[in-house]
Amino acid sequence: MSQYYTATDHFVLVPAIMLALFGCAILLFDFWVFPEPKQRKWLLAFLALGEAFAGYGLWQQHTYIAGQGIAELTAFQGSLVVDGFSLFFNWMFIAAASIVALMSYRYLEVEGEHHGEYYSLILLAQCGMYFLASGADLITLFVGLELMALCFYIMVGFLRSDKRSNEAAMKYLLLGGFSSGFLAYGFSLLYGLSGSTKLSEIGVAIARRDPADPVLLLAMVTTTVGLLFKISAVPFHMWAPDAYEGAPTTVTAYLSVGSKAASIAFLLRIFLGPLASARAAWEPLLVFAAIASLTVGNLAAISQHNIKRLLAYSSISHAGYMLLGLVAGNETGIKGVAVYVLVYTFTNLGVFLVIVALRREGLVGDNIDDLAGLMHKSPGYALLMLICLLSLAGIPPTAGFIGKYYIFLSLIQAGRYVLAAAAALYVAVAIYYYFRIVRSMFMSDAEDAGAMETTFGVRVAAALTGLGTLGIGIFPEPFLRFAGQSLIR
Amino acid sequence: MLDTIFFYLFALLTLLGAVLTITRRSAVHSAISLIVSLVGVAGLFLLQRAEFLFAVQIVLYIGGIMLLFLFVIMLVNLDRAERERQFSKAWWLALACVVGVGAEIAYFLTKGPAAFQFPPGAASPGVASAAAGGNVERLADALFSEYLLPFEMASLLLLVAVVGSVILAKKRI
Amino acid sequence: MNFLELIWLIPLFPLFGAATMLLVGRKLDPQAASEVAVAPGVEPAAAGSGHEHGHGGGAKFLISLFCPGMVLLSFLLSAAAVFQLSSLPEKTHQVIQFTWLAGQPFHMAGGGMATFAADWGFLLDPLSSVMILVVTGIGFLIHVYSIGYMAHDGGYYRFFGYLNLFVFFMLMLVLANNYALLFVGWEGVGLCSYLLIGFYFHKKSAGDAGKKAFIVNRIGDAGFLMGMLLMLATVGSVRFVDVNQALTSGRFHPEIAGFGVLSAMALLLFIGATGKSAQVPLYVWLPDAMEGPTPVSALIHAATMVTAGVYMVARSNALFALTPETSLIVAVVGAFTAILAASIALVQNDIKRVLAYSTVSQLGFMFMAAGVGAYWVAIFHLFTHAFFKALLFLGSGSVIHAMSGEQDMRGMGGLKDKIPVTFRTMFIGSVAIAGIPGLAGFFSKDEILWQVFSSPLGSKSVYVVGIVTAAMTAFYMWRLMFMTFYGASRADARTQAHVHESPKTMTVPLMTLAAGSVLAGWIGVPKLWSVFPEGFRTFEHWLEPVFEASAARAVAHGVAHHDTSIEWLLMGLSVAIAVAGILTARHLYLIRPGLPDAIRKASGPLYDTLLNKWYVDELYDFLFVNGLSKGGGALLSRFDASVVDGGVNGAGWMTRFTSRVSIWWDTWIIDGGIRLASFLVKCSSYPVRIFQTGYVQSYALVFVAGVAGFLLYFGMR
Repeated sequence: MSQYYTATDHFVLVPAIMLALFGCAILLFDFWVFPEPKQRKWLLAFLALGEAFAGYGLWQQHTYIAGQGIAELTAFQGSLVVDGFSLFFNWMFIAAASIVALMSYRYLEVEGEHHGEYYSLILLAQCGMYFLASGADLITLFVGLELMALCFYIMVGFLRSDKRSNEAAMKYLLLGGFSSGFLAYGFSLLYGLSGSTKLSEIGVAIARRDPADPVLLLAMVTTTVGLLFKISAVPFHMWAPDAYEGAPTTVTAYLSVGSKAASIAFLLRIFLGPLASARAAWEPLLVFAAIASLTVGNLAAISQHNIKRLLAYSSISHAGYMLLGLVAGNETGIKGVAVYVLVYTFTNLGVFLVIVALRREGLVGDNIDDLAGLMHKSPGYALLMLICLLSLAGIPPTAGFIGKYYIFLSLIQAGRYVLAAAAALYVAVAIYYYFRIVRSMFMSDAEDAGAMETTFGVRVAAALTGLGTLGIGIFPEPFLRFAGQSLIR
Repeated sequence: MLDTIFFYLFALLTLLGAVLTITRRSAVHSAISLIVSLVGVAGLFLLQRAEFLFAVQIVLYIGGIMLLFLFVIMLVNLDRAERERQFSKAWWLALACVVGVGAEIAYFLTKGPAAFQFPPGAASPGVASAAAGGNVERLADALFSEYLLPFEMASLLLLVAVVGSVILAKKRI
Repeated sequence: MNFLELIWLIPLFPLFGAATMLLVGRKLDPQAASEVAVAPGVEPAAAGSGHEHGHGGGAKFLISLFCPGMVLLSFLLSAAAVFQLSSLPEKTHQVIQFTWLAGQPFHMAGGGMATFAADWGFLLDPLSSVMILVVTGIGFLIHVYSIGYMAHDGGYYRFFGYLNLFVFFMLMLVLANNYALLFVGWEGVGLCSYLLIGFYFHKKSAGDAGKKAFIVNRIGDAGFLMGMLLMLATVGSVRFVDVNQALTSGRFHPEIAGFGVLSAMALLLFIGATGKSAQVPLYVWLPDAMEGPTPVSALIHAATMVTAGVYMVARSNALFALTPETSLIVAVVGAFTAILAASIALVQNDIKRVLAYSTVSQLGFMFMAAGVGAYWVAIFHLFTHAFFKALLFLGSGSVIHAMSGEQDMRGMGGLKDKIPVTFRTMFIGSVAIAGIPGLAGFFSKDEILWQVFSSPLGSKSVYVVGIVTAAMTAFYMWRLMFMTFYGASRADARTQAHVHESPKTMTVPLMTLAAGSVLAGWIGVPKLWSVFPEGFRTFEHWLEPVFEASAARAVAHGVAHHDTSIEWLLMGLSVAIAVAGILTARHLYLIRPGLPDAIRKASGPLYDTLLNKWYVDELYDFLFVNGLSKGGGALLSRFDASVVDGGVNGAGWMTRFTSRVSIWWDTWIIDGGIRLASFLVKCSSYPVRIFQTGYVQSYALVFVAGVAGFLLYFGMR
């Protein structure tokens, strides 16, 4: 190992290597070793193995950092960093990717597009997320973002015979490229301002500048725009409803939690890192984006009939809440964002899981009416859905309450009473559309008596998401402590 | 002086090519206009003494990617494409927006040219590269040492792109 | 055995029952396959008379045993714990399971550092012990009643599952040792109420009513949540004990004149209370909630859940004591609600609606008491009201049951001898609520009126409102009695032939509650009746430790002294007015039944206004439902809805738009002003539609516009 690839570098890179390695392995094995459709479950085992190895790598990083008592471990001349923040998000990605993989198997069978590449893309996208959570260098972050985004472009269009899926992929790709352009422009200006691509050095350079420096403002605006697009905040949200609706439901699930969480991590890294000193400049932008997201997301969701579209708008509104935590800016707020993302991951996966479980020959399951009478057919899934929707609406004792609680509290502590009140009132609006789904499940007759066909994997995923949503809500202490470690100092 | 003249020349070439690319009805004309535009960008790179980027621009974009474009254009039904509307009805709105953003960016850039002053002590990239023995060498050095990680990640990116194109394009996987 | 340490088990019994029912109940209930939840009391033809309960066999019997059994276990445990509590010197006991919400130390708004923690912990003190006994005791009786009442409905297991879940959340609410955990129960009971109101989901109105209840409540909940967080940021804790301590420690000054952070806190909490306890302006959901099965109305919408707001305000008495202006608001809102709801109840014809408005009105009484600082009286009225209102609701359920689902009192009459047990028990309930001495309602209501009159925080005008409302109460309750039980029957022959007394499972709870309605008041005998020893005033003394803080402040306020003769006079007045109300009702509806019609004709618009509930629902519909959800939602969904079709054919956009304009025009002309709000919103969506052609370019355009806006913001700065 040379000075450009030291043992530390390797140690920090191991989880990503494992993800990429098993991603490639799945491609090869799918082709050579397991060509029969029935053998595809072995690919799932490969994916599990990849996650396990990546998790082991993370665990070693975790124990090393804790053991040494250091705050962070940098590698590749400061391009990658392992700290509480990156560990927190990477654990979450492992959970998200595993749950998505568990629920995908039967779904893809039903859709008739079951290919090994899908699992490979899950891992490779996660690899991109790894770089987003741990990157500390503009180039690394940008390439990581594109790696993740490219995987998602493909996965969104995975149902090749479905027009909606194709259209969604196309729109997502074009707009994604568009936003990347702005982001790259912003990054190039940041480089121009500081002469470095390392976040820490950029931060130092920016702190020395006048906050009203026009070029700095331009760099900040273009960067912000690119980041807001990724978390689908208004007014850069337009892709989300189409992409969510058209994508295969499992991919929508992955997109809504994985991509969003990774982008939030990216956003926090940028705003709390190099741009921290320019807070006065970007705060109004984020306030605007947050309030606009809450307004558009919540109000537009009211009149949706397609659940995936409804959840797209709901996800837009959740982006607004997450931004509010960043706006509050205090410790509670940042921790609140981390908790919020964690909670949102489990909860949203649970909601999508029920929609995925509904899918069978002849029933798409993404219309609200498709859920009619679910309580009378399979109460377990109906209750899971109920719990998850309550969590999305922020009703205790589900996990969603914990997330909202910390966001609101941070706003009040920061003295932003108006924002807190607006956010709290939008919760009341949100209940309106979430409960349309509940009403359909609990207060209408089943239109067809067909039972749900679920697999072992789906049941395991259901248990995981349900436990996550209720467990974090009732016993949040370890999760809060975990999220507390993620603060960027 | 000569530099300035060449700069405006190449910039004009780039912009003109770009405008023609989106306004020509014929796809072939558009593609050729795009080549013109890309040549202009290549010239701009050369003016900045970024020889490597210049070479990449010529070889990859104009040589490789544009050729691919032209192949694709030959394969699709051009007659039908020519009859399609080129712009949506709201083109004036789009134009207004683009001009607006362009003007704003220009405003910010002109308002603070001083902002591009590098912090004292840090050598400007151009000087540094000259000291390291030329742009190409310096780039290669950085790519395989300091930016080793992004370089490797890019390979993964390309792999995904290949896999994606196969998945999306091939009838039976 | 130390039951005090086991209080965390009290809510878990019903939770266990609920989980069992909801997860595996379907396999137990043989009727579940049909899943037909018919209208209340309507029996399937095959069911025969109601005397034989359950033809579902053993499984159904098991459910009937299991779910009420769980609540009974809770009740027994509560009783044991309360008994042990009474022997403790300081009469509070906290059981903290683990820390629920913890945070780093932070700077409080008022300066100073605080580390807050909300526990998963339970507090048993005199106040919560009253509440758990009411919840589990009356809850148990209503569970038993439901065995008979719901015997013929599909979804038997679901009903009991939801009902048990409700009891669980309600117990969480009253046992919580902090506001955050209280909020868990607070939201949970709302959810159960939603599910139970919509139980007969084949009626569209049921689902709508459930939705309305939940959404109106959420507005209140937003207030509660903000109040709680503000408290956290100012006081530094949400634990009741700590908050009380902090507020009484002198760190915070009473906000006698002016509006400070404490007032904001109190007001926000009170907004939460108006939602849950159906006070003006958020009371509109409760009457609609009567779409649910009658046992639900009795348990949730009369005896327990709706009193949660009163409980919470009483719990926060230390806070309200520091903010007399907010307390005044509480009293005024309570008084206004009381008289408004009572006036509506005067003319309603649906038997359950009369009772619903009566409940709203009685809750107003409780807030009146709380507002003037007489918290123990508010809780006392809550306690007695739980008995007689549950009794009246269950009795009305029994009537509806007998009348084959008829709820309109104009179709009843003459039931006195046909369903004697129901009649006698309801008679007791009506006497009790009217305020005739000797029965529960008299003691609590008279004490409220006296406190409103005499308390330094009270006022004479509120007293006048109270006494007028009391007269109305006596009138509308006896109007109900006379229309239902006396005179000649107005029902059709088929219904008449079918009238029957309810089964034992229903009548026994009625009789028990009737006994309660007679006796419950005797633990709060007025001081004036000095012939009775102090033992008859147990209730006040029992609650004293909880309201120490507010009592101390009231003393600081200066206690006005009143002559006992005034008190006797006022007591006489309230009794006289109750009797007058009853006699007027008797005169109008029994002796001269033609008179009400004459009055109706003579009073014209006033009568219509009352019948239409002061048109409040219409106003809210106009303001919020049409304006906000339909209008705003339509705008924003149009923002993208046209993408789907527009993507296919962008060119057809103009034609569709013009046709839509004409459709809007029609609806606008026809529906007139009501649509105005949404029309304006739709008009404003026109510019949006220009780039909603469904092309990805238009998305990019919005994107660029966003960038332009962001840059412009800095350019203009």
